[in-house]
Amino acid sequence: MKKQRHFKSRLFMALVFLFLYAPIFILIFFSFNSGTSSMVFQGFSLHWYSELLHNRIIMQSVYTTLLVSILATIISTVAGTFAAVGFHALRKRPREVLTTVNNIPMMNADIVTGVSLCLLFVVLFGFYESFAAWFNGVQGLITLPKQLNMGFGTLLIAHICFNIPYVILSVGPKLRQMDKNLIDAAQDLGCTWMQAFVKVVIPEIKPGIISGALIAFTMSVDDFVISYFTAGSSASTLAMTIYGMTKKRVSPQINAVSTLLFVTVLILLVIVNLREASEEKSAKRRTAAKIYAHRSESRNRRIAPVLQRVGAAVLICAIIAGTVFAGHVGKSERVVNVCSWGEYIDEDLIDEFEAQTGITVNYQTAESNEALYSLIEMGGADFDVIVPSDYMIERLIAEDLLAELDYSNIPNFELIDPRFKNLAYDPENLYTVPYTWSTLGIIYNTAMVDEPITSWDAMFDPKYAGQVLMINNSRDALAAALFSLGYDINTTDEAKLREASALLAEAKSAGVYQAFVMDQVYQKMEGGNAAIAVYYAGDYLTMLENNEDLAYVIPDEGSNWFVDAMCVLKSAQHKEEAEAWINFIASTESNLANMDYIWYGSPNIEAMEQYPDYYYELYEEEIDQETLDIIITPADTLERCQMYRNLPAKTLALYNELWTDLGV
Amino acid sequence: MSKELIRLVDCVMAFDEEVVLNDINLCINDREFLTLLGPSGCGKTTTLRLIGGFQKPTSGDVLFNGVRVNDVPPHKREVNTVFQKYALFPHLNVYENVAFGLRIPKKGEHGKKIKLSEQEIDARVTEMLRVVNLTGFEKRSVSALSGGQQQRVAIARALVNRPKVLLLDEPLGALDLRLRKDMQIELKRIQQETGITFIYVTHDQEEALAMSDTIVVMDAGRILQIGTPTDIYNEPENAFVADFIGESNIIDGIMREDGVVEIFNRRFKCLDSGFDKDEPVDVVIRPEDVDIVAEDQGQLKGTVTNVTFKGMQYDIIVDFYGFKWLIQTTDLSPVGSRIGIKIDPDGFHVMKKSEYSGMFGDYSSYSEEYDEIGDASLELVEEDAGDEE
Repeated sequence: MKKQRHFKSRLFMALVFLFLYAPIFILIFFSFNSGTSSMVFQGFSLHWYSELLHNRIIMQSVYTTLLVSILATIISTVAGTFAAVGFHALRKRPREVLTTVNNIPMMNADIVTGVSLCLLFVVLFGFYESFAAWFNGVQGLITLPKQLNMGFGTLLIAHICFNIPYVILSVGPKLRQMDKNLIDAAQDLGCTWMQAFVKVVIPEIKPGIISGALIAFTMSVDDFVISYFTAGSSASTLAMTIYGMTKKRVSPQINAVSTLLFVTVLILLVIVNLREASEEKSAKRRTAAKIYAHRSESRNRRIAPVLQRVGAAVLICAIIAGTVFAGHVGKSERVVNVCSWGEYIDEDLIDEFEAQTGITVNYQTAESNEALYSLIEMGGADFDVIVPSDYMIERLIAEDLLAELDYSNIPNFELIDPRFKNLAYDPENLYTVPYTWSTLGIIYNTAMVDEPITSWDAMFDPKYAGQVLMINNSRDALAAALFSLGYDINTTDEAKLREASALLAEAKSAGVYQAFVMDQVYQKMEGGNAAIAVYYAGDYLTMLENNEDLAYVIPDEGSNWFVDAMCVLKSAQHKEEAEAWINFIASTESNLANMDYIWYGSPNIEAMEQYPDYYYELYEEEIDQETLDIIITPADTLERCQMYRNLPAKTLALYNELWTDLGV
Repeated sequence: MSKELIRLVDCVMAFDEEVVLNDINLCINDREFLTLLGPSGCGKTTTLRLIGGFQKPTSGDVLFNGVRVNDVPPHKREVNTVFQKYALFPHLNVYENVAFGLRIPKKGEHGKKIKLSEQEIDARVTEMLRVVNLTGFEKRSVSALSGGQQQRVAIARALVNRPKVLLLDEPLGALDLRLRKDMQIELKRIQQETGITFIYVTHDQEEALAMSDTIVVMDAGRILQIGTPTDIYNEPENAFVADFIGESNIIDGIMREDGVVEIFNRRFKCLDSGFDKDEPVDVVIRPEDVDIVAEDQGQLKGTVTNVTFKGMQYDIIVDFYGFKWLIQTTDLSPVGSRIGIKIDPDGFHVMKKSEYSGMFGDYSSYSEEYDEIGDASLELVEEDAGDEE
């Protein structure tokens, strides 16, 4: 009886740990997968680790993350330690009040801290701009920069801000444990207060300082939300980069980088625990009052502090040198700040552009059109070039946020297929140069359906109950219903939209949908867990690599096609460099490289013509027509497709309402 | 007369309206062993901290060699301190603790920083460890030492800097009785060997009597009496001093004329003079100055109510006309027996009436009072609690 209970409790423990650690181990396991699938292990490989090292955007963000974490750790440890000493010197009542004030930011939601810091910076920069304008106006000797932007500096300030409370919290108890006469004693023996602090207090509270620094460091490396709101456009931490990738497919490189991150944190934790254990041991040894007078040991101990000091000095020099170096790199006269989507460029192009022009590219990613819009609207970003989708461009133009382009600086615009010029979102083509285009369609598993799918009706057919994945995005899902009903996808007619919503609701209650998904569509379709899904053409090719039974169709009723185009923000400070970048990306070579990398259609006529040859040269095999047709949708198919238009606010509100009512 | 080293002039110390030192005037001579003695909270530690420079007087002056040093920080004073709980540096071994002060560069006469050579430091530390009998303990961790050893490290750490004055704040308070007695002798020896002025704070009157050249008795932030141990013991200024220093029976009396004092309506011969005729006074009779005789031969007659065996003597409580006396004797008189006592003229000490009159010297509540005195550790705990705020 007792034994059984013992067994049960052990089983329970095992399950708890399994649930805690299984996700991390799966991630580590798949980081060594040679293929792209996160369902099937295709063989051991360090491929993603080596890819990672060559991924400029990830490596840059790792560098930013480490630099900001280390600097924030050092600064907040010093500041926090002195603050803790200050707190300690206070009388009980004010000390308790201050301790509570110190604890609140730690309990505060990150999102609140992030947004409020962002607001603070925006407000302060606003004041600064009016001051600089006035200052530059009244005198001519010194010219202040007209404008300040969020970037590495604000990111660092934010990190210092949220780290300091943790340092205070960890140093405080050590100070309280310390004999309060120690400082008096040191001063009595001839030390100034500062000498006493360095020679006596710091060695006494060192364990607290070290654990405070380690906590600060892990918090910094870990942080996403606060960084997101305070990094501006020129800096991006690793967490931000990973999140930026989720608009498209998360690259398995992320598994690799997450594994490295996990291992780093694990090592730090082990160090902390070992330190604590050894401290306990030495404390025990002391209380046991056993006395050893090993002269040799003591000699070794004298050398150790010297080594420590040298190590610390080297570390500090390295950090300073790194900062200066980074500052130097960042100081390059000509800069362009680009904000695009994750996994949406062949990164060699960035190096090539920098080598050709000497312009430094700050390449950032956003996770959706809506997130990009809110960043721009809040004034928290100083992007030059952005790559929004068609309907968002229409909105940005309507709100007068985009700058007109000087096409004489963009000769490669000539190479854009006229079909992609003067589109509805930019009818006179004053603001945009198309980047890619693709279609929405139905992906299905040929082994799981009896006949080829040709109509949007399949998305609502009870025959496929439990087999269908609907897209978790109101515009695309309602478009599927509108097509099925034979209505215009840009309709503003409330009755029609309600009818479309009712169709979705009916199918949902009939159990047609296995789920409403975005990213999970890859796993489910690749693993054969669902038969039918709505998704984008370029992404279908990624899935096809891992499951050959899949097919893509643009239904007979037609579908949505979309263009992502490069534009320059009105607030851009590097318009000339921005146009140089756009021209470079619009070139045939860049378009070929990008098309091969992301499998979205290119709007460049020459690139579309040359792609099969380019493919042959690269892979030494012919591209099959079916694949080519998916990358570059044939003109007759494209004719059946429509673009989304920016909808009036009233209709957007209705979309929101219907989508909420549907209760996805 | 040796030369004056430190002088406190009209020193007042107040924390938040609460006066802890009131009008302290004190002169400390070179090479003197001076003890500040008083119950906890009397201001003796504060006085020490004024001299050490850890606190500034609210008003009044601290003079070193006639120069005002109120604003001189501790590290610039030629004074070192042995703290109550030693305040040894736990991260350093015995040797490094002692060498700590020597390793701090000092400003020389011409403003140049003087740094001692390793050889000199080594020589001085080794010598000082010899003085405090800790040779061979150099490499030990201070937390691995016993209380007495830690105490000696603290003394060595302070003395190695060759201060003009060493301040000791209840340095023996945390040690057990036996060790305390040994260390008293040790401290006195060290003081004589080094010739350094010691200012010693304690609440233990025996310790004060055994070691000091001069005792300063303090209560409630004031100095009550300054004198040699014999002066303080034999000629206490008032009932408080008489009671705090040793055991004493303090009885209301009237000075009838020079050399004649009246207690219990009987006149006794004494050696005191200089009082007004018929002036009410406090009369101190030390328990060891009372001789027990047969009842019919006694100047006073009483009943034994309590007997405590103390090893060397019996402490007996005798009821005389409702007033309880403590008498120390080597002869046992059983409880309930009637005895007579005789007191020689030099057994009387007559004091002027003071605010302390009537508060001390009656042994009616004998047992409780003894407990209180005996429990020194209790007093220490209370003092800690007081320091906290």
